[in-house]
Amino acid sequence: MNNIRNFCIIAHIDHGKSTLADRLLQKTGAISERDMKEQMLDDMDLERERGITIKSHAIRMDYKRPNGENYIFNLIDTPGHVDFAYEVSRALKACEGAILVVDAAQGIEAQTISNLYQAIEQNLEIIPVLNKIDLPGADPENIGQQIVDLIGCDYEDILHVSGKTGEGVDELLEEIVDKVPGPKREEDKPLRALIFDSIFNTYRGSIAYVRVMEGVLRKGDLFKFMSNLEEYYAEEIGYLKMKQEPTKELRAGEVGYVIGSVKSLQDVRVGDTITKVDNPAKEPIPGYQEAKPMVFSGIFPTDADDFEDLRAALEKLQLNDASLTYEPETSKALGFGFRAGFLGLLHMEIVQERLDREFDIDIITTVPNVQYEVELVEGDRIQVDNPSQMPAVGDIEAIYEPYIKASIITPADYIGPVMKLCQDRRGIYVNQLFMQNNRVEITYELPMAEVVFDFYDRLKSGTRGYASLDYEFIEYRKGDLVRLDILLNGDQVDALSSITHRDKAYHLGRKVCAKLKELIPQQQFEVAVQAAIGNRVIARDTVRAMRKDVTAKCYGGDISRKRKLLEKQKEGKKRMKQVGTVEIPQEAFLAVLSMDEDDR
Amino acid sequence: MAGLYIHIPFCKQACSYCDFYFVTQQKYKQEFVDELIREIYSHKDTRFTTDPIQTIYFGGGTPSLLTPAQTGSILEAIYSVFDVQAEEITLEMNPDDVTRDFLSGVKSAGIDRASMGVQSFDTDLLNFMHRAHTSGEALRCLELLQSSDFNVFTVDLIYGNPGQSLEVLEKDIETILQFDPPHISAYSLTVEPQTRLGKQVKLGRIVPPEDDKVARHFDLVVNKLKEAGIMQYEVSNYAKPGKEAIHNSNYWDHVNYLGLGPGAHSFWWEEDLKTAHRWSNKPDLRSYLKQEWEQPFEQETLNMQALAEERLMLGLRTRKGVASEELKSRYQFSFSEEQLQYIDRLSDEGKAIFDQNLRLTTKGLKIADTILLDILTK
Ligand SMILES: Nc1nc2c(ncn2[C@@H]2O[C@H](COP(=O)(O)OP(=O)(O)OP(=O)(O)O)[C@@H](O)[C@H]2O)c(=O)[nH]1
Ligand code: SF4
Ligand SMILES: [Mg+2]
Repeated sequence: MNNIRNFCIIAHIDHGKSTLADRLLQKTGAISERDMKEQMLDDMDLERERGITIKSHAIRMDYKRPNGENYIFNLIDTPGHVDFAYEVSRALKACEGAILVVDAAQGIEAQTISNLYQAIEQNLEIIPVLNKIDLPGADPENIGQQIVDLIGCDYEDILHVSGKTGEGVDELLEEIVDKVPGPKREEDKPLRALIFDSIFNTYRGSIAYVRVMEGVLRKGDLFKFMSNLEEYYAEEIGYLKMKQEPTKELRAGEVGYVIGSVKSLQDVRVGDTITKVDNPAKEPIPGYQEAKPMVFSGIFPTDADDFEDLRAALEKLQLNDASLTYEPETSKALGFGFRAGFLGLLHMEIVQERLDREFDIDIITTVPNVQYEVELVEGDRIQVDNPSQMPAVGDIEAIYEPYIKASIITPADYIGPVMKLCQDRRGIYVNQLFMQNNRVEITYELPMAEVVFDFYDRLKSGTRGYASLDYEFIEYRKGDLVRLDILLNGDQVDALSSITHRDKAYHLGRKVCAKLKELIPQQQFEVAVQAAIGNRVIARDTVRAMRKDVTAKCYGGDISRKRKLLEKQKEGKKRMKQVGTVEIPQEAFLAVLSMDEDDR
Repeated sequence: MAGLYIHIPFCKQACSYCDFYFVTQQKYKQEFVDELIREIYSHKDTRFTTDPIQTIYFGGGTPSLLTPAQTGSILEAIYSVFDVQAEEITLEMNPDDVTRDFLSGVKSAGIDRASMGVQSFDTDLLNFMHRAHTSGEALRCLELLQSSDFNVFTVDLIYGNPGQSLEVLEKDIETILQFDPPHISAYSLTVEPQTRLGKQVKLGRIVPPEDDKVARHFDLVVNKLKEAGIMQYEVSNYAKPGKEAIHNSNYWDHVNYLGLGPGAHSFWWEEDLKTAHRWSNKPDLRSYLKQEWEQPFEQETLNMQALAEERLMLGLRTRKGVASEELKSRYQFSFSEEQLQYIDRLSDEGKAIFDQNLRLTTKGLKIADTILLDILTK
């Protein structure tokens, strides 16, 4: 009997995946009532605080059917946010089935569709679930109809579940057994195990999470990674229960972890295939796409002495998060730091927060940008992910920028505002598709750079929170782009350069200058703030010289207050960055971000 | 040598810019005086009574809300506890409290220096500041003062008010000068967050004047008083030569002082020790009346580094500046290479002079806070 079921839970953000996973863990006894907490699998501090899943979590459970049969479930809970779509894609690879969760009050949203399509592409069996049916606003009939329309199932196939109350969860457990196919158990073939995740443990090094597709991996086996042929002994293998549970072997169809004999397993790459050194497989498991960074930003230590600590912290983060990329960068204004690549803004925010919190490093980040392709006059095509590295205007033949296809699902009442937003952001209309319940899916092609900023926030506020957004990269397209430089008393501030559409450059230049004028404190001399394209100054503002700055009263009772203030000012001053003779506060480097929509 | 500061925490009404500690309720005046006398006696035969008392300063609040008899009883207690060798005993007074009898009363109680809180003679400005006195009262109190036995006195002035023109300021200065004061304190209006003014500024109802304008006010004060022979000796203090305030100057020289009354601060640096102490009473009359002055409300210990920085902070506000010799011998402090370079630049720009003393010029004094911060972070 094939008693293994490998499946994942997919959905739009917040539709209740992790909560539903809690119930499955609870009902199968994978976790004791005593240890139970909400969204159990979200074990990172940040996940718990923000109430969102950032990383996929795999967990094994033992399920005893009412009829007495025993099953092994390997569940992967996935994140819903668009930035982490690649986490979903890798989870799907390790499964035969997917529970598609739809919030019975919200209905189908952008990531419901994109994640579903990914699962269908991988030939997974889909179990549609209407979740949160306990909510007063739940509308199972209409939303169920949406699901029927979307995946072409029968309404009766849709389970009605509440992850909160546990209603319908028993049925779901049975449905998993009945509907999700058991994995193929091709144990006689040469070993092929897919690495679908890896985590880093300070004491044990990198730990690979694998799904054995074919063959058997035993403890002590000499294995190799098929991407680079590095060889290791399988020092420990085991199952991914609430605690790692060592075992002797992982057989075809099973999911578990592998710890190699070398601690610094830098070689563990998600998507790679493990095979055995004797009797190796011929081909790795195909079709795994590496997560590609979409957004780039400079990260600099506030205190130059922290550079090595920052490097070490980024290294550590990367061991758990292969989608984070970074390379050293030197800025005249900010000193030594790194240019890091992220999957999206949320990902960037999370990395920045982890650096601050888990590693206690104060950092300054620069305004994020996308990666451009630049065709040089002499014919070469180079990639530029740092505005300050944009070649001189005369050397550029053309600049290409990444475009995405955005699908936005919104109540029909908000079509107007959504279209206006897309139009303002240089969007190209593709189509709109009316769905059940007066909803529309609007598709636009947009320059990625226009979405990176605060597109999502604007979309949400323009639709009272109802719209959802999903996007994917499509291609690079030629754009009329220019590099906008900022100069302070004639010195260019490299970290403030940005790339923008020519039509928006003047406006942006004026606004950045005005914002900097506000943020740069008065100094003993006048400071000219200029925006320039090449040698041409297109905007100018002036920070007037300080004329008066002295405390009026300083007697017996004022002295200690004044000294404390002075201590604070000294701290603040240490954090200032120097460009030429001008001192600028750190916030200035994010000036463009803190501007209002109309300002941009 | 040491100074005594006595805080009298009563005012008739709250001036809009003021964040001193005071209550407008006058009920507990006598209780307060009694408590204050207890606090004074608590120091009997302690280390604080071994230093001779050179100055006594009654500040507030509004010390002129006490009767001359109450002031006298406080002084009497002081005399019986401390070794008073006073060269200056000042009482702050508000124009609306001043009568001929009051002046002669406090004079015979032992006050020898009057500090008059005039602030302005302009009716609009007095209203804006929410002062309790009128322009007429301001004039009259100075007339009384002139014809009284007080030959040492000082007058307070506030400039740099929103909407205040140079002309109005000039008129205020000229009016004061008619009374030939030996000493003037002129403050640029400071917006403190916890005041009515601060709140109005935060709400955008009042816009403080631009710093260039305040700088022009400042220059006008300095120049007008200089013409009258009243020289700036500190950012906000001006005197005829030899008439500088001793008590306040001592603060800037790190002379010891003991503060009595709610909210009063004390500073004590035992000679030859590497640390000094500063502490304060809780700014709260009710707690004060419950003897909470027995325990310091806030206290800090200052090491040499902190003392040196503080000395620079205070000294650079004065026209005589700070002697590098003093910094070395008393504070074991000398300027670093970078600091000296920066000071050179200041001299080139006409903002400082560095001979035996480092001192700021009028130009430098106007941005003394910036300069100090620059020096300390070089
Ligand atoms: N009323 C009700 N609330 C639920 C139910 N399931 C989840 N929630 C709530 O919905 C919110 C989101 O739940 P999660 O389980 O974190 O959702 P998720 O899909 O894992 O979210 P991401 O991982 O961030 O995409 C939480 O506030 C839950 O308490 C349910 O069945 N009923
Ligand atoms: S009288 Fe003096 S202490 Fe009282 S509120 Fe006015 S300024 Fe402040
Ligand atoms: Mg989740």
